Amino acid sequence: MTFEQLIFYILAAIAVISSLMMISVNNPVKAALWLVLAFIATAGVWITAQAEFLGIVLILVYAGAVMVLFLFVVMMLDINLVKLKEGFIRYLPIGVLAALGIFALMYMVLGPNNFGMDVTGEPVRFDANHSNTTMIGLALYTVHVYAFILAAVLLLVGIVAAIALTIRRRPPHEVKYQNIDKQVKTQARDRFEMIKMQPVKEKPVENKKEEDE
Amino acid sequence: MVALSDYLIFSAILFTLSMAGIFLNRKNVIILLMSIELMLLAVNTNLVAFSYFLNDISGQIFVFFILTVAAAEAAIGLAIIVLVFRNRKSINVDDLGSLKG
Amino acid sequence: MLENYLPILVFVVLGVLFGVGPLLMSFVLAPNKPDAEKNSPYECGFEPFEDSRMKFDVRFYLVAILFIIFDLEIAFLFPWAIVLDEIGLFGLLSMAVFLSLLVVGFIYEWRKGALEWE
Repeated sequence: MTFEQLIFYILAAIAVISSLMMISVNNPVKAALWLVLAFIATAGVWITAQAEFLGIVLILVYAGAVMVLFLFVVMMLDINLVKLKEGFIRYLPIGVLAALGIFALMYMVLGPNNFGMDVTGEPVRFDANHSNTTMIGLALYTVHVYAFILAAVLLLVGIVAAIALTIRRRPPHEVKYQNIDKQVKTQARDRFEMIKMQPVKEKPVENKKEEDE
Repeated sequence: MVALSDYLIFSAILFTLSMAGIFLNRKNVIILLMSIELMLLAVNTNLVAFSYFLNDISGQIFVFFILTVAAAEAAIGLAIIVLVFRNRKSINVDDLGSLKG
Repeated sequence: MLENYLPILVFVVLGVLFGVGPLLMSFVLAPNKPDAEKNSPYECGFEPFEDSRMKFDVRFYLVAILFIIFDLEIAFLFPWAIVLDEIGLFGLLSMAVFLSLLVVGFIYEWRKGALEWE
């Protein structure tokens, strides 16, 4: 076993164990944290397959942002943990059976008989100066430009949908909103008015003398 | 050097685990969404491995787009969960059957 | 290419050792006799009034979503910045279209008040 294989198997074992923990723990917060570990280990696996940029994007976007979103949602909803776990035992046999069956089928197709090293041949290894990010960039913005623009449309839909679904303005009698545009635009003449008045001589106060005494 | 079948079997294990997760956590929508994320990760691992062995960068570009789609999907899916929880006070899948008729 | 990652591997292993090692040592070496009273949360002698996990406001979620979207946008910018010399005007224009679409979303969220905190 070479050093590279050792690294691959360790990372794959970490990913498999943490995803096993993810589907079996009780608490959604712990499940999210195990999923983060699975993502990080899988990013390492991708780097062993020379997909450096994607491994880093996986850590940056998934472990960094998407899982934070999951944690926020878990924290936002206070959920009765016991009720959510019922049915786990009942579905355990059928779940394990289905998983094993599908894995056996997949192994028959994807196993070493069809995709072993002697069948596929050795992959091309790049030297130390090869830049994976450059390769992606050269193809992404020219050959796949339509998909690239569609990704922007998708992100736009994501922004609009998320805001339209979750935003909720409270009625004005509950909360006072600050209107910064209006505040900045205000000028001195909006705030007070100069009034011209004729000077009036006040009547002498009658009870003034009493007060003085 | 790691063989292609190792990568493929690794991703098959991740895929079946996340499928078992969908079977087992039938009540909790959040864990269902996490299992879907894990499934997408397994599929992406396949694409990365084939891109490595065929020496074709297109596989990695597919993965990049799948990551984008999955992030947008997580954002909208979680927004829907927040909305459902606000209206129903529950994220149990069985309570969300009012469209059944 | 992978030999470039050897220092990172060493760094990760050392980081994990430094993080997990003390935890493991205190778990193994320290005396540990839990009972129900010790583990219950202490609130000045009262029974705790509510769950220690506080509910977050939805507005945190909105901020996190917007962070994800713009994080992905940045991830699309990295390869573009590297290859801009080679892909020339066409690449510049495609990124201009990409960014202008996202600016539409940004203007939407701004006008909708998603960035305000009351």
